[in-house]
Amino acid sequence: MSEKTYRLILSVFLILAPVSAGAQDLFIKDGTLLTVTNGTIAEGDILIRDGRIAVVGSDLKAPSGVRVIDASGRFVMPGLIDSHTHIALTDTNELGAVVTSEVNVRDMVNGEDRRLFNVLTGGVTLIHTMHGSANPIGGQNILMKPKWGRAAEEMIFSAGPGSLKFALGENPKQAIFYPAKARYPKSRMGVKAIIRRELIRAREYMLLWDRYHASVETGESDPRPMPPRRDLRLEPLADLLRGKTWAHVHAYRADEMLEFLDLAREFHFRIGSFEHASEAFKIAKELAAAEVGITCFMENWSYKMETAEGIANNAAFCARHGVTVALNSDLGPQMMFLFNQAGKALRYGGLPEEEALKLVTLNSARILGVDDRLGSLEVGKDGDIAIFNRHPLSAYTRCEITIIEGVVYFDRDAYLETQRREEEKRRKEKKKKDDGKRPGRPAGPMGGGR
Amino acid sequence: MKRSGIRKMGFLFLLVVSITAGSAFADVGPAYALVKCRIVPGTGDIIEDGALLVRDGLITAVGPRQEIPLPADAEVIDGQGKTVYPGLIDAWTSLFLKIPKRPPLGFMQAFEGIPKDQQDDGRHLDYSAFENLQPNPQDRNALHKLGITTVLSVPEIGYISGRSVLINLNREDAAGMVLRNPAALHLQFVAARGVYPTSVMGAMAALRQAAFDAAHYRDSLDRYQRSGKTIKRPRYDPFLEGLIPYALEGGPVVIACLNQEDIKRALRLREEFGLNAVLAGSEEAWRVADMVEAAEVPLIVSVTFQPPFTSIHFSRDEEKKKEAEEEIYPANPGELARRGIPFALTSHGLKKRADFFKQIRKAIAAGLPKEVALEALTIQPARILGVEDVLGSLAPGKIANLVLADGGLFEEKTRIERVFVDGQSFEIEQPEGEKK
Repeated sequence: MSEKTYRLILSVFLILAPVSAGAQDLFIKDGTLLTVTNGTIAEGDILIRDGRIAVVGSDLKAPSGVRVIDASGRFVMPGLIDSHTHIALTDTNELGAVVTSEVNVRDMVNGEDRRLFNVLTGGVTLIHTMHGSANPIGGQNILMKPKWGRAAEEMIFSAGPGSLKFALGENPKQAIFYPAKARYPKSRMGVKAIIRRELIRAREYMLLWDRYHASVETGESDPRPMPPRRDLRLEPLADLLRGKTWAHVHAYRADEMLEFLDLAREFHFRIGSFEHASEAFKIAKELAAAEVGITCFMENWSYKMETAEGIANNAAFCARHGVTVALNSDLGPQMMFLFNQAGKALRYGGLPEEEALKLVTLNSARILGVDDRLGSLEVGKDGDIAIFNRHPLSAYTRCEITIIEGVVYFDRDAYLETQRREEEKRRKEKKKKDDGKRPGRPAGPMGGGR
Repeated sequence: MKRSGIRKMGFLFLLVVSITAGSAFADVGPAYALVKCRIVPGTGDIIEDGALLVRDGLITAVGPRQEIPLPADAEVIDGQGKTVYPGLIDAWTSLFLKIPKRPPLGFMQAFEGIPKDQQDDGRHLDYSAFENLQPNPQDRNALHKLGITTVLSVPEIGYISGRSVLINLNREDAAGMVLRNPAALHLQFVAARGVYPTSVMGAMAALRQAAFDAAHYRDSLDRYQRSGKTIKRPRYDPFLEGLIPYALEGGPVVIACLNQEDIKRALRLREEFGLNAVLAGSEEAWRVADMVEAAEVPLIVSVTFQPPFTSIHFSRDEEKKKEAEEEIYPANPGELARRGIPFALTSHGLKKRADFFKQIRKAIAAGLPKEVALEALTIQPARILGVEDVLGSLAPGKIANLVLADGGLFEEKTRIERVFVDGQSFEIEQPEGEKK
């Protein structure tokens, strides 16, 4: 993106910044509604009240005083979800230890990362921004809605279970950095051993605290027991074992994913998704049976050894075999074009339209545990909407309006109008400068006579 | 007795008396009387034609000239056309400390690691600014030129950087300068070097863990006492012992906040652990002013007016960035003043400390009232640092830290001609044709 465009984005930021309430009323009329869970409604209407979808139907009347968006000729779908990214963070990895579950990326949030605006232009209304994959057990991740112009803490979406990052394979054994750091683990068995060791510690920690709480309630021991030392590293793992937090596991190879499924069974915790999962197609049956989803790329594989056996249609294949599949950007440029990625699943992967749409909406919400709030156009869900000029799975589509909780955070026409006005202003100023300096030379069409 | 014997006795007597009497008189400092000057005491009304008496390092009288009799032994300083202010306090410097300069780690160094002797875990609880002070007259004089007579000298390295010392910039050695030691514990949101924690989120977790550990440690000690020492004694932990006064007992903690997210992090820590916190830097306080106002947290405010790299104002083009530096960020102190948020001003972060007043004038032009600016250099830092009973304004009984200027403190052409520190007079060198 050019410098000029960035300047524009930032102007938009400051224009939107003083807008009040995080949730508003909105009426969208006459659009082709792609509900994802209830088929398509032609010339459909949506009423959003206080940021939640109140009515989905057709031939509705806009209540007075509510802003109306004319979606005739356009396609309306639930806002897209990027289920694995690292934007809006000023740092991604805590590299100082092998297990870093005590860190929380919310402590690194930066609400002024302009990529938050970038993803809005692609219809994204929720991101899962995460700790990196440098450690077998990484940090706690967060969900954010890119409410560009608002304070960072207003963007954080705290519904759903917690999210803890795990990483298997080459990254945590630091194979990609040369000369490789002398840090244990240096092998896949080391990675697994460390995770297992920490889960055992977490289980003991959890039992210690459960025992303490029990004895305090019954008031039996005398003298009163002292609470155990709080261990900020083991606490999130204890929450994992208690089911309050789900694991999101960076993994590529079928063997390591199968082993991790065993680990989850052994310790009774839930895996939200495997991240990237290039070889998921090899174990689609097992993943479907375990009800563990994956979040992956449509068209990237063989970019490192552990993705060497990836295939072109991993996502579509797994989706057809009962695995919950989501797509993500992992900081790639597709963060603005996730709808194109889903389109490829339809065109090349042979998925039916609704299944392809789910890859960037409902399935992402499912693996993140927020499908009761997001991922489809249903009454009661959040008013997070993306409006396209053509069908979102078409190669020619453009995202025109992005709405979060009833507030328009991206409007392509308004954005281009602002750009045009800024350009006009700049041209006039330049013309004034040039005319003043060189009276003999006429200013050119762009204002420069040189 | 022979005459010479009496003389010898008399001489001996006088010798003894003069030695003993001399030691008593040696503690009596010089006395000064500043007269005919305009006096801005900092509390109460401005005195147009005033007198101020100094003796033994303290102010003994302040008031209209006709009301104050001059002591016979005072050195009289004619202040006709001059203004006297309380000596200014700079609440964030690294004065007299040798801070080693270390280039930041490169990307690959972060992953590969660095040799052990270059590593730094960032936990410098024991670093005492006082023990590391190397006072020198050049740096001291440079501050006098700005009218600054008291500074907080603050350690700079590590997310737990250590303890600061509040010093008066007089002629004495380090110990003779001390007003308060330790003044406060200082924290920053920075990573350690080459070792855990390599990220700010890691430092946050480490700080929280340290605070929980301090509480647990104290509980163990209490339990040990209550048991009548009939259980095993808790394992001694010098780090946690040193942390307890600040984490649990309300010792002052100054947290460096270089952007709005730092301010939010600091407020979260303060909320979670009930810290007696002060936020230093705070140049983006205006962006989270509601939060800061509601928290009722004192601030030490820098005046670099440079948007931090995390800020949207940093990413803009040159023209907009300049606007941020010249108009938007300079409005920060004025906004705080408007909301009644107490703050001190500091020269910290400026490339040239001599630009301090130029920057303050920018803030005044952008809406900071002059009276508030003066308070932010005198009574507010005195309050924040717990020395308002002896500094920060001109009143009898307070320490004689004074500034004698040839005009209003915030006028561009004003020169500082003389300062007093602990009642010691320093005449400021005025190079030919130099403007402030």
